[in-house]
Amino acid sequence: MLSALTSIFIATASAQIAPPTVTPADFWLPIGASVQAENVDLMFNIINYICYFFFAVIVAMMVWFVLKYRAKPGTRIRTDGMTHHTALELSWSVIPLLISIAIFFFGFTGYVDLITPPKNSFDVNVTAFKWGWQFKYPNGAQSDNLVVPSNRPVRLVMRSNDVLHCCYIPAFRVKRDLVPGRYSTLWFQCDIPTGMDEKNGYHLYCTEYCGTGHSNMYRRVMVLPQAEFDEWLLKQAQWLDEIPDDELYFRAGPKIYSRCQQCHSIDGTAGLGPTWQGLWTRLTAGGGARFSDGKSYADLIGPGKEYPTPEDYIRDSIYNPGKHLVATYGNVMPTFKGQLNDRGVDSIIGMLQHLDEFDAKGAWTKTLPPAAAKSETKPELK
Amino acid sequence: MTTIVSPRPELVDTSATSDNYLTFTRGFRSWALTLDHKRIGVMYMGAVLASFFVGGTFAILLRTELLTPGRTIVSAETYNQFFTLHGAIMVFLVIIPSIPAALGNFVLPIMLGAKDVAFPRLNLFSFYLWMGGAIFTLYSLAAGGFDTGWTFYTPYSTTTTTGGVIPVLTGVFILGFSSIFTGLNFIVTVHKLRPPGMTWFRMPLFLWALYATAIIQVLATPVLAITVCLLIVERTMNIGIFNPSMGGDPVLYQHFFWFYSHPAVYIMIVPAMGIISEIISVHAHRQIFGYRYIAFSSIAIAMFSFIVWGHHMFVSGQSGLMNTIFSFISFSVAIPSAVKTFNWVMTLYKGTISLTAPMMYGLSFLFLFTIGGLTGIHLATLNTDVHLHDTYFVVAHFHYVMMGSALIAMIGGLHHWWPKMTGRMYNEKAGIIACIIIFVGFNITFFTQFMLGSQGMPRRYYDYLPEFQIYHVISTIGSYIMASGFFLVAACFVQSLLGGKKAPANPWGGRSLEWQCNSPPPHDNFSSPPTVGNCYDFSMLRWDEKEQGYVVDKELEAQAIAAEARAHS
Repeated sequence: MLSALTSIFIATASAQIAPPTVTPADFWLPIGASVQAENVDLMFNIINYICYFFFAVIVAMMVWFVLKYRAKPGTRIRTDGMTHHTALELSWSVIPLLISIAIFFFGFTGYVDLITPPKNSFDVNVTAFKWGWQFKYPNGAQSDNLVVPSNRPVRLVMRSNDVLHCCYIPAFRVKRDLVPGRYSTLWFQCDIPTGMDEKNGYHLYCTEYCGTGHSNMYRRVMVLPQAEFDEWLLKQAQWLDEIPDDELYFRAGPKIYSRCQQCHSIDGTAGLGPTWQGLWTRLTAGGGARFSDGKSYADLIGPGKEYPTPEDYIRDSIYNPGKHLVATYGNVMPTFKGQLNDRGVDSIIGMLQHLDEFDAKGAWTKTLPPAAAKSETKPELK
Repeated sequence: MTTIVSPRPELVDTSATSDNYLTFTRGFRSWALTLDHKRIGVMYMGAVLASFFVGGTFAILLRTELLTPGRTIVSAETYNQFFTLHGAIMVFLVIIPSIPAALGNFVLPIMLGAKDVAFPRLNLFSFYLWMGGAIFTLYSLAAGGFDTGWTFYTPYSTTTTTGGVIPVLTGVFILGFSSIFTGLNFIVTVHKLRPPGMTWFRMPLFLWALYATAIIQVLATPVLAITVCLLIVERTMNIGIFNPSMGGDPVLYQHFFWFYSHPAVYIMIVPAMGIISEIISVHAHRQIFGYRYIAFSSIAIAMFSFIVWGHHMFVSGQSGLMNTIFSFISFSVAIPSAVKTFNWVMTLYKGTISLTAPMMYGLSFLFLFTIGGLTGIHLATLNTDVHLHDTYFVVAHFHYVMMGSALIAMIGGLHHWWPKMTGRMYNEKAGIIACIIIFVGFNITFFTQFMLGSQGMPRRYYDYLPEFQIYHVISTIGSYIMASGFFLVAACFVQSLLGGKKAPANPWGGRSLEWQCNSPPPHDNFSSPPTVGNCYDFSMLRWDEKEQGYVVDKELEAQAIAAEARAHS
């Protein structure tokens, strides 16, 4: 055990220059894919063996004594057992104490490495909200899944828009709460690229309970070699700009809708937010739903009123969702200001206007006319 | 030894006409307005077991929901309410009051040799406070339920639209005072009502444990009351104490909450440890090994419990230095826990062990508490906790401690004192089979969750990845097995009440004072002050066929007295 402890100490000290390693999934732990995983796994396994040992000793003694000293009918009560034994009692106080101190110490040094990001780290801004994640990159690119370069420390600078969330990537053995009103950071380095296929990505979860969609805050972490990552990053920053205006609603719309669909249905299913079914007709006709303050669409939308056009109303509902609440719905939608630009909002408005072209999941059901199909560039959307 | 004559089992009149606390007075009012600690204890026990049934029903419902990923029987909102209710009911209405308020109330004064607790009216008042708190908790269901998790973390708890949050917080506030008053009562009783001869180090270890628990109850619970008050004010008036947009801090709430709720863990487990000390030594008929070590370790755990709350917050945004300090102190709790466990095991050595139903629960406790305690090491260690925090590993760990240890000890204690409480024996074989079913079901349910958690499955999840399903299915099957075990226990007790054999005064061979009075005890517990001897000296006992219980053998007693006299001269 001493050699194991020594090796963890050496491994800890050399964490940053260690060669890339994957610890394979075993009975207890999932695959470990970050440079930090190895130390954590070693610590976990050392503690496990200590536990196996003490568990075996205690249970074996218990079973043995019960079998050996079981009362037989008619036997007298034994009186030869000792009432205490100072040396024995001291030994089982002091030995666990020493083991505890050792475990604490190595857990502590491992923890310091786990939370201290190297200086040359690549920063990604993370925003969590009910119920999703937004990953933003220094060049303005945004993504729903976390995409990071390999062989380089990555630091997540995280904040929450509403309640507590927690970012957890099991394969990297890292976890950190996102607290509204302050930034928290988390770092890792993964040297095993996954490519852009979501199936191969590492899991990312929210592990601080945050309500109805808590378990839907499940995303993937994709790791790309630096060159591929740079290419992806550039493309990702521009994807919305590359789509022609008249194709925006069916190219970008479904992509953006994936963030709305947890609350807003297309087919009229009841959700946490009003359904989009027939919304545009109601907006343009002026009647329909009432707001919680008793006003109707006609009171708000129209020339000279608060919103000159229905488009203005939609835009404001995305940026200031709590301003006018549709009756019976709570103020739960986060703002998308800073996350959706004008073209993003245009995509949603276009989608609302052509809602009959989409199925219940938000997929576009029509096909492109041949001319348009030729010019399709298939931008990498994620 | 004092010379006062005590009612010995062999002298006691066990005929049906004898007065006992159950038949002392009759009618609803005589129970509702009783000041008798035994009746209050029995009423608590009934109420706690009813709450346990409700909390258990939620557990089975949520395990059933988790059989498949996505929707199985209920929606995500309902599931969130289920696990919240399961947690809140089990913590505040079941485990916290189960041992101190229910069993403790019944046993403590008799074990001590007193006629009642120090403040019988306060005792009744705390029972009605408990009922009040329980009613508010039930009312919260009618008011729309609550989906905050039993921890009520802000800002979710102050912003959620479910309507039952304020009623349940009010309920928790009231329940807290019930707990404080019980604790206060026990502290004064132990200090002031010990009869002549009952020195501190002659007290049975269950009393030490209840005393340590009472200290925690009195010192920690007011913090919960303050926290809950702040939360109610925050939610109704939005004063911003926990709201970051108004300069507040959600992490402050976590500090407040765990400053109570970590000691609360010991309010649950320390009295359970006391029961186990009794069960193991009485059913092994063997002097408890290392009495003083066990007594002091109860007090040590009570003290440490106040300075380790931060280990719930290793990834919450607490500073690295704080984490380090809390991790270090958390390890200190391991020592008294290890000491107790080894002492219990050594108590079996050279004992005369009867494998009765209570003993089976005692042995189950040793097995489960060892697992629960050892897996605490993974969670106190900083770098492994980061991976395991808020996963099913934590769920499994605290179920091994809270349910596998605290609740199993409570059920074991109920079996142990059942003949004393009701005057009836239960079917021993059925009791043992039920214990084995619960033990097996428990391990199937929760050991799987260790694997789920370390493989990376977060807790409080409605939906999960298909790769985790096999673990969830096994766990759910285990919970069904466990539930059937509990139904067997219930059937066993009902059968005992309806047609159980009459219980002797001392069915197990205990030496503490409660085994010296009748089963059930008379209204005043003792007709004259009882003789206080060494409550772990079993040498003078012998099984009496006619009595169907243990009696003090005159010859053996004379030998024991002579031996003691020799030792002193």
